[in-house]
Amino acid sequence: MDELLFLRQEVAPELLAGVWMSIKLIVPSAIFGFFIGIVSGVIRVYGHPVLKRLAGLYVLFFRGFPLLVQLYLWYFGLPRIGIYLSPFAAAVIGFSLCSGAYHSEYIRGALLSIKKGQLLAAYSLGFSKIRAIFSILLPQAMRRALPGNGNEFIYLIKYSSLAYMVTCIELTGKGSILANFYFKYLEIFSIVGAIYLVMVSMATWGLNYLEDRIAIPGFGRPKYN
Amino acid sequence: MTNQTPVLRIRNIKKRYGDNEVLNGVSLELNRGAIKVIIGPSGGGKSTLLHCINFLVGLDEGQVYLNGTEIIEGRKRELTAYRQKVGMIFQDFNLFDHLNALHNVMIGPVRVKKLPKSEAREKAIAELERVGLKDHMMKYPAQLSGGQKQRVSIARALAMDPEVMLLDEPTSALDPELIGEVHEVIRGLASGGMTMLLVTHEVGFASSLANEIFFMEEGKIVEQGPPQKILFNAECLRTREFCSKISRLHNNSS
Repeated sequence: MDELLFLRQEVAPELLAGVWMSIKLIVPSAIFGFFIGIVSGVIRVYGHPVLKRLAGLYVLFFRGFPLLVQLYLWYFGLPRIGIYLSPFAAAVIGFSLCSGAYHSEYIRGALLSIKKGQLLAAYSLGFSKIRAIFSILLPQAMRRALPGNGNEFIYLIKYSSLAYMVTCIELTGKGSILANFYFKYLEIFSIVGAIYLVMVSMATWGLNYLEDRIAIPGFGRPKYN
Repeated sequence: MTNQTPVLRIRNIKKRYGDNEVLNGVSLELNRGAIKVIIGPSGGGKSTLLHCINFLVGLDEGQVYLNGTEIIEGRKRELTAYRQKVGMIFQDFNLFDHLNALHNVMIGPVRVKKLPKSEAREKAIAELERVGLKDHMMKYPAQLSGGQKQRVSIARALAMDPEVMLLDEPTSALDPELIGEVHEVIRGLASGGMTMLLVTHEVGFASSLANEIFFMEEGKIVEQGPPQKILFNAECLRTREFCSKISRLHNNSS
């Protein structure tokens, strides 16, 4: 009973603050990362050759460097050239750019899977290239890419735990501090892990719901019943 | 006949893929209301010609004129305006897979012509009614038969109010029993006075509709003339061989 009281009074408020910080990291990073991924995915399939090359390099670097190294560069490295980012900003920028590189690949694959005839039909009606991409190709590609994008969102939830390495104290950071302080590693890290599990489950549920909402007969997967 | 400007005129179109000369100087004209049919063996450049006329494939040489005005591929705005006036029907329909029949027909007027949605919707419903598919307008491409898909694609082209239509083997991907419904729609267009350039292997259908038939082989128009002459009394040996083969096939299947 003492144990429960201790967890509720000493640990819960701290972890809750950590959860809140995690969410503040995850949501904007997911949105920016997704947006960056769409733009760079489209460029890599339909862009001008120079832009295509640049987007390719972006993906190469941000998938190639370990995320932790990227965060260190943003937070500890940039001050060397006079740019000082807050821990929060460094983490969001790092997560968004890394996430975007992965999203870009999902979008690229989905765009490539769409038959050439769709673009020809759009052209034949008088669509410009850019309008065809946004009105015809992306709505189809997004439906095909969504399961992959969802995977990346779920990764993001978990790799947000790296933020505490650049002193942005989120859920894992709070957990470490508490565990070290009270010397209760098993209890506290079990709780921390379970909270991530809950967040991932909620994201999975949300993504399934979204997939159902945008499902179209003969396109993507059939609806769950 | 008066000396009218052809709606569509193409001059000396050439297209190469590497060493392969697909189109070797093709010229033709379509006056308003004319229906011309291109026949010929596979690989003869028929489809490529239609794609070139709509600039879906870049030309190596040659000119395309709409109502006497030359269309320059590099001038994007003029090119998209031109394409709105030239309806294209594809062999494999190319309906937009993520849109139902109604929205397939609506999307051109809404996105390209910037028509208000309600107006575009009315127009789309009218065009779908014209091809006999008003009852199926909420269905997605995956829920339609091949013949229905092709009729939707015709409605989609018509919704842009084209001045001329290019039809690239519109029935060759269809089961035999579905060909009739598409032919019927095309016949309807013909009696409405639509100017059309049609590639087909259905010689019976072609001869009942066309003012003129072109026989095309190895990237060239080998012979042209009225249907009766090309199909039954051609001057060129290759044309005669092809036509007798294809009409024998046609007779066997019917």
